This record gives sequence, structure tokens and C-alpha cells, in this order.
Amino acid sequence: MILRLAWSSLRRHSTRTLLAILGVAVATAMLLDMVMMSSGLRESFREVLLSRGFQLRLAPKGTLPFDTDATIENVSAIVARLRTNPDVSIISPVLGASIHVSAKGGIVTSAALGVNPKVQGDYELLSGSDPLAADAIVANEDFLRAIDAGIGDTIEVSTGYNPQLRTYSGTRKLVITGRARFIYGAANQLATAMQLATLQQMSGPARHDDASLFMIKVRDDSRVEQVRKWAEREIPDVSALSIATALAQVDQRLSYFRQLALILGTVSLFVGFLLVSTLVTVSVNERVGEITVMRALGVSRAHVVQQIVLEGVAITLAGAIAGLGLGLITARYLNGILADFPGLPVAIDFFLFQPRAAWTALGLLTLSGIAAGIYPSFRAASLPIATTLREEAIA
Amino acid sequence: MLLPLVALLLQFPAQRTIAIDERLADDAKIAIGDKLVVSAKPGIAGDTVVVSAILKRGADPSEIARSEYQVRMHLGQLQKIAGYSDRVDRFAVATRGEGATEDAMRAINSAAFGFEAHRSTDIAVETSRTYQVVSRFHKAIGVITIVASAIFLLCIMLLKVEERRRDVAALRLMGISRSTVVKAIVSEAALLALVGCALGVLVGFLSSRFINWHYQNVYRTPLTFSLVTPQIVTLAVSLSLVLGICAGLLASLRLVRTPPLSLFGR
Repeated sequence: MILRLAWSSLRRHSTRTLLAILGVAVATAMLLDMVMMSSGLRESFREVLLSRGFQLRLAPKGTLPFDTDATIENVSAIVARLRTNPDVSIISPVLGASIHVSAKGGIVTSAALGVNPKVQGDYELLSGSDPLAADAIVANEDFLRAIDAGIGDTIEVSTGYNPQLRTYSGTRKLVITGRARFIYGAANQLATAMQLATLQQMSGPARHDDASLFMIKVRDDSRVEQVRKWAEREIPDVSALSIATALAQVDQRLSYFRQLALILGTVSLFVGFLLVSTLVTVSVNERVGEITVMRALGVSRAHVVQQIVLEGVAITLAGAIAGLGLGLITARYLNGILADFPGLPVAIDFFLFQPRAAWTALGLLTLSGIAAGIYPSFRAASLPIATTLREEAIA
Repeated sequence: MLLPLVALLLQFPAQRTIAIDERLADDAKIAIGDKLVVSAKPGIAGDTVVVSAILKRGADPSEIARSEYQVRMHLGQLQKIAGYSDRVDRFAVATRGEGATEDAMRAINSAAFGFEAHRSTDIAVETSRTYQVVSRFHKAIGVITIVASAIFLLCIMLLKVEERRRDVAALRLMGISRSTVVKAIVSEAALLALVGCALGVLVGFLSSRFINWHYQNVYRTPLTFSLVTPQIVTLAVSLSLVLGICAGLLASLRLVRTPPLSLFGR
């Protein structure tokens, strides 16, 4: 009965109802996008950091991994020191550099990582094999395409370019043994990986025992913070970053997006609320006589309240369901724009869909729909029956 | 008499000075005249310097997300500390106009071994790529907001006009023409949109002031984050007026086409 009354009331002004649903749909889409953005980037970043199971990273003091060209010296000594901690299970030192390869009549420049292939956490092998030999290299699809080479080809690789002398600190022939996907690589970034010792030797005497970063696996997740503090104490040249501290740094740097999400999400919710409450209020004002007649016939106040609140919730829910689809489409579009951020790893999403985000948006909108119907419904339910009937009759 | 004094000064040269960033001064409680020891790496011996100036940070977008401190040192001293011998990272060259810039670039790129000249504008474009992405993102959000506002406005205007059903019916029964009713309602819609615009511009202006104040404090930068320009105000006002008038016109046309007695509910 209540449902039928609410439905017929909404159908009576179909254009108005349709416009309100459309308005709520756009507000929902915006709200869903903002909920996705507020948590998506953080969650996506956490997933990427944990994708290979390394819970700790050591970077040169005061920097984030690969934030600057600074390196950590005495890699061998640091590895030996880290091994003394029984909680540390795997240590993967990584050196970053630029390499240059002659191809197609020019020089192709690419990012290169020096790693220990047996314990590395920087790439996933797609085909071929890891660079287990000193003269082996793996590369991503973009690099192979840029130099027009494939697995099994030998290429001459140089590093340590001195622009004044136009010389390299090291040049070596390397065999491409594998095709890989680099986890932290940006879109269209050319990337390669070889053995750490190979890249150190090519980078010259100044970097013969350097690394840009250490990635560490801790046996027990509950001991990560203790190991982090221990590493910072024992190795003064490094900043130790756990997933939590790295996320805190990311939060600090990208706080703008979270705040924007909060502001726009709140505005969307408010606009949705305002739209539904205005519509329901006007609708109630138009039906004052009808509602009073119902009350005079013996329909209870609770019944009137329920019917009007239901109208508000129905508009909100219809708009919200349409808005969820719209929100996913706009999120994809907006994510495409932000994916062009220079240096942003391909695997990072600003708008990550999680069922929780959809439920949060739907829950907030349902609450706002209920809240929008409360005031007009109570106003309608508390109308003085005799006076209102008389006024309506005169009108 | 003078010679021994000069000899003494040469033997003990004046301490080098350094200028530090205001954030570093605030965070480390450093003041002008304080002595600092600077070195390329922590824990090794360095040079003692005197803080002679505190620098205000420039409005550089590329520095926003970076929390690092900055210092300005004498070139020779930094070269010595960093082990750079007689090298520099780049030269900044001022030219005498656009033509001179072209000539200088051509000359440097063709003759100077190991150098490559770039225009300052090209470097600025390259370093502001992040902000171009953010700008595109803002535009996309702006379009969504405009769509939402348009629907909201249309809905409100429709409701506002629908509320006047009985007034319009009475006017029509008194013999007032349809076009007069439409004109009256559209004028009312335009006036409403205009008042809303004025209020919106005021809210926008105050929000912009708040956003600048908040983010300038968060990132400790003089950069302007939100700018209300006459063009933006014109766009917003024109859009709202057009939408308001269109909504009023649509709703009033719908109303005047309905027979007056139907509007009375008869």
C-alpha cells in the first residue's frame, strides 16, 4: 500500500522525478569517484609495494627510493650486517642507472637496474630467462621495440655518460636473455635489468660497490617495525622505509588528492540531499489537501511519514544505481588522465574500484535520501486536519 | 704596519657564508649569524659556514610535493665539498632579446663541445608536466560539476515554476497573454539566476582565499593554488544565466500550454 502510493506520487510528475533521478545519478557518480580516489591510490600503492613480498626498503638517508641520484656505498658490508639479523630472510640490493644503446641510427637511452636475479623484486619475467650470467640482460617490450631486438640478440650497452667529454664510464656487450614487465616502471618507460655486479663495474670505480636501494623480506610480518628501527640504527647512511612509512610519505605528498576527494565528495552528497529534499518538499506542498484527506480518513501519521520518506529514498536509490555505472565510467576516464603523471608506475591506479567504495557511496546516499524525506514528512504528518481541509476547500 | 695585518687576514680567511631556505630555518631553529658545518655526506668532516641569509621559497610548482630543504652556497665551496672540481651542472645565460637567444643557442649547440642549450620556456614546459596533468584533471572534474549543476538548476527552476501553477492559471483566466506570462516567468528565472550568481561568485571568491591560505600553509609555498579571474567569473555567470533562462523558458512554456482550468486541478 505504502509502496503503491509512493510510486503513484512519483509517477504523477514524471519529468520532475526523472530530472531528480538524473541529478542524483550525477551526484552519485561524483561521490563514488571521490570515495574511490580517497582510498584507491593508497591501496593501489600498497598492493604494488607488497606485490613481491618485500616489506622493507632502505634508501639513501633522507630520500625515497629512486627519488634522487644518491646511492648507498659499501653494499657488501651492509648486506653482511643485515644478514646478522635473524629476522631478515631475503636482501635484494638494487642499483639504478641510465644505459645507452646504438640503434636505428641513433642512441636509445633506457633505465637500467642492477639486481641479484635470484632474489630480485623489480620485474616479472614474461619469456626467456633471468640474467644469471654476467653478460646477460632482460628488457621490457618498449625497450626491445625501440632497439628492434629480441631474445638471443647481443647489444652493446654503455653507461655513465660524461656530457663534457662525450665518453662513457663503461661499455659492454650483453646478450638479451628475457622479456620482462617492470613492476615500478612508468608507462612507455624503457627498462632493463642486469646483474648488480655488471652494472656496478660499468658505472665506474666511484660506484663499484654502490646500490640505490635495498629491498628486504622479513620472516615475520609482526617484526617488520623492529627490523626497520634496527636497520636505521645499525646503518646510519640509510632511511629504512616499511610499507606503513612509505604510505605515510605518499599520503603526505598526495594529500591534495585526498582533500579534493573529501571536499568534492561532501559537495556531491550535499547536492544530492538538497535536490531530493527540495523535490519532496515541493511535492508535499502540492499534496497538502490529499495528505490531510488521508489523515481525516484515519491513515496514521506514521503511515504518512513512511510514504514520504519512501519517495525520497526511491528517488535516491534509483539515481544511485544509475550513478554507480556512470561513476565507474567517469572514474576510468579520470584515471586515464592521471595515469599520464610523469614517472607514475603503470600498476598504480588513482581510482581503484573496491566493493567497499560502492557500498560506502550507496550507504551515504541512502542515508541522505532518508534525511531528505524526514522534514517534509513530519511537516505533512503534523498538519492540523480541520484547518487544512477548510483552507484547501476555500482555495 | 699594514703589511703584517694583510698577511694575518690572508692566513685566516673570513668564514664562508651560506643562505638557507626558510623551512630549514624554521624546522632546525637556525637564525642569521649561526654557524653550521656542511659536508657532502653525514658523519664526515665538513666546512664551517655562517648563515648570512634566509631565503623565501619561490612560487615553483615543481617544488610543491618535495619536502627537501634548500641551501645556496658559493660555487667554489660547493664544488670543493661535493668533489666536483671545476664542474657545474648548468649555466644560465641571459640574452639580448629573442633573436639573440636563437643565435646563442645555434652557436652553443654547434660549437661548444659537451654542451646543449635549451630555452628556459622549454625547460619550464618539461618540468611542469605534472601540473599539466593536474590541470587536465581539474578541467574534467569541472565539466562533471557543470553537468551536475545544470541538472540541479533545471530541476529547481522546474519546481519553482510548477509552484506557480495557480498564479499562472489565474493570470491566464484574467486574459493575460501566454507570451506575457512566459516573459514574466523567464525574467523571474533570470533574476533568480543573477542573484544566485552573485552569491556563487562571493562563495567562490571566499573559497579561493581559503584554499590558497590552507595549501600555502600545508606546502609552505607562496604559490597561488586557486585563482578567480574575470574570465572564470564571466564563464560561470554566463553559464548560470543561460541555464537559468533556458530552464525558466522550458518550464513556463510547459505551463502556458496547459489549459488554465487543468492548472487549477479542475
